[in-house]
Amino acid sequence: MPLFRLNPKAPEAPALTLANTDDVLQLGARLHGVKLIVLNFPKFTDGRAYSQARLLRERLGYQGELRATGAVFLDQLPFLLRCGFSSFESDQKGFGEALEKARTLFSVVYQPVGDGRATAAELRLKRRNATVPLAAD
Amino acid sequence: MAKNLSGELQVASANRLSDGVVVFLDDAGQWTPRLDQAALARDGRGAEILLERARVEGASVVDPFLVAVSEDDDGTVTPLSLREKIRASGLTFDAIAAEAVRYA
Amino acid sequence: MPDTHFYRYDDFDRTLIAERVEQFRDQVRRRLSGELTEEQFKPLRLTNGLYLQLHAYMLRIAIPYGTLSSRQLRKLAEIARKYDRGYGHFTTRQNLQLNWIKLEDAPDALAALAEVDMHAMQTSGNVVRNVTADHFAGAAADEIEDPRIWCEVVRQWSTLHPEFSFLPRKFKIAITGSPNDRAAVRVHDIGLRLWRNEAGEVGFEVIVGGGLGRTPMIGKTLREFLPKEELLAYLEAALRVYNRYGRRDNLYKARIKILVHEIGAEKMREEVEAEYAAMKDSALKLAPETIEAIANQFAPPPLPHRSAIVPEVERLRLEDRDFALWLKANTNPHRLAGYRIVTASLKPAGAPPGDASSVQMEGVADIADAYSQGEVRVSHEQNLVFPHVVIEDLPSVYAALKRLGFAEANVGKITDIIACPGLDYCALANARSIPVAQRISNHFADLARQHDIGDLKIKISGCINACGHHHVGHIGILGVDKNGVELYQISLGGDVDFGKTAIGTILGPAVTADKVVEAVDALVATYLEAREKGERFVDTYRRIGAQPFKERVYAAV
Repeated sequence: MPLFRLNPKAPEAPALTLANTDDVLQLGARLHGVKLIVLNFPKFTDGRAYSQARLLRERLGYQGELRATGAVFLDQLPFLLRCGFSSFESDQKGFGEALEKARTLFSVVYQPVGDGRATAAELRLKRRNATVPLAAD
Repeated sequence: MAKNLSGELQVASANRLSDGVVVFLDDAGQWTPRLDQAALARDGRGAEILLERARVEGASVVDPFLVAVSEDDDGTVTPLSLREKIRASGLTFDAIAAEAVRYA
Repeated sequence: MPDTHFYRYDDFDRTLIAERVEQFRDQVRRRLSGELTEEQFKPLRLTNGLYLQLHAYMLRIAIPYGTLSSRQLRKLAEIARKYDRGYGHFTTRQNLQLNWIKLEDAPDALAALAEVDMHAMQTSGNVVRNVTADHFAGAAADEIEDPRIWCEVVRQWSTLHPEFSFLPRKFKIAITGSPNDRAAVRVHDIGLRLWRNEAGEVGFEVIVGGGLGRTPMIGKTLREFLPKEELLAYLEAALRVYNRYGRRDNLYKARIKILVHEIGAEKMREEVEAEYAAMKDSALKLAPETIEAIANQFAPPPLPHRSAIVPEVERLRLEDRDFALWLKANTNPHRLAGYRIVTASLKPAGAPPGDASSVQMEGVADIADAYSQGEVRVSHEQNLVFPHVVIEDLPSVYAALKRLGFAEANVGKITDIIACPGLDYCALANARSIPVAQRISNHFADLARQHDIGDLKIKISGCINACGHHHVGHIGILGVDKNGVELYQISLGGDVDFGKTAIGTILGPAVTADKVVEAVDALVATYLEAREKGERFVDTYRRIGAQPFKERVYAAV
């Protein structure tokens, strides 16, 4: 199964493979030193791994590689990337090319997630504050 | 007018992918909106073959399936179920016409 | 052209919907070429509002918080004309459905919608759906705060949410800003009720796990009082709990109401509060400037003081019986004395309920421009609403609506029927609902009789999915299929008005299509004979119970 990694040089061990029913918040010490976590989509319509990914990244501060396996298709890439996935196992034709384009498919995002992208709300505030005149000089 | 109501007569139907129109598989393996041109399977084996053919020709339609029909003495084919009757012949009431305005 | 008095898209919003349209255009291309299978494509088209129905694709266009500008309504008319068969259907969730869309035209139709800041995103699929509100928002006398502000806040947060795009099942949120809940918040996956606590602060009661359908349930209070700025963090916590623990093994047990039922409201509260606590002070806390910027856009139009007593209107009311009945049934008090809220009845006798042709839509847009600050609302009862009409203008509005066929004085009455599209259109249906509605409507067409019968809500669904909300009808009618024959099960006493939520109880064995009118007649006759002064149908039912109704109905059918 072809593998696409955002960072092809990143270490892949030690690795941890989780079922999409596993509670990542209970991992505790098992997470320590792990370089690769493999999550699963038994069907692409089963979205539990999106929550697992966000909790790993944002709640637990995991910074290693986060891999999506199972039913992984290119149309879900914008969501997968925003939730923090950094590698993908997929035999769908055109997946690699789609991965290149996926990050710029949507230039506006509404929700703050762990990907560090400024949300529309944040940009609006910034814009508003930039036009607020300074106190009288 | 004797009708065959045993449910052994089947046609293959689907919705056309590009526009959702209800279509039936004809003898030439083409999809037609006309029920009167649908290929008729007259027994179980024939129905299996018909459905298989529908799947083979399925690129231009969505999810083909078999529809039980009856056939009049004069050859008029009618679906047995109300649902399929509606699929084949449309709404059972007059929808608002495109330029409808009622005057009091 | 009047300015709009609701949220106006900025470049961020416009860019997002344009990019979604382009993404969808490419997805359609890949589906038509066979690169994508139907299985892969289906969720992608559903999250753009495109269903495959019996005869054609159906496009469900989002009308956020049921609010439309006249410009938007004209565009809908144009799209219905160009890409459909010249009419559309307004739904119980304040959306518009076009029934004859072609897949190959869908990207162009969506691009046309985008021109007026409209879309069909997330009106279907296992995602957070269109957030509905009270159709009198911003105009009603009893409003604490305009709920639409919060609908917009939630709309943005939920649109293309990367974590919640593959939920166990659909997720419907409704918000009310009034103690008289006109948004049916207790029968939604999450309902939000704005209220003022003793300290004078306005916040949300958060209600979870309500719903109709196969297993109707009334929602439970998850949180009594949630400060407004915490709304998104709390919703995110609730959705995350649902995404993680909602059932995935059985389509019919996958809604959040089942999860609440299975683990209990107390456990659900624990889970959500724990998740919320872990997220406290998150980036989701709403900045006051963000709230203010959105709230300001919903500021009501300047409505100059106008006289509440208009001699001309009084005179017409006394002279013209139809106008008098129309005033009584189809207009409601506005928070300002010189104004009324006017409902355009999309239930002319014998017509398919809730449908409007392109010509009629354009006519409504004209009336909105002339008499209602350019604004129209979609109610939950498949009617349209003009929120701010000067009393002086009521005769003109009445005349204009009459010319369109939308002036039947039947709002809230027996012929103001809510019906789903049913087996005539819908692939999920077991029985037809529109012809049943038409027969009942024709039978009770006499206006004087309707007003004598009084407030009576008949709601008809063509299958257990309950899109016609039959569970909460005073008279609910559910179409079922038994051995290929359409039968109709009648229930009584459902309600979803004035803060009261009740699921109707089934009367007895289902009746055949040709007996439905007799059955309803018998129900009405029972009520008319037994009623005490001031009692509506549903009040009499609550007082005397089902037995007298049951006896009369089954003697008649």
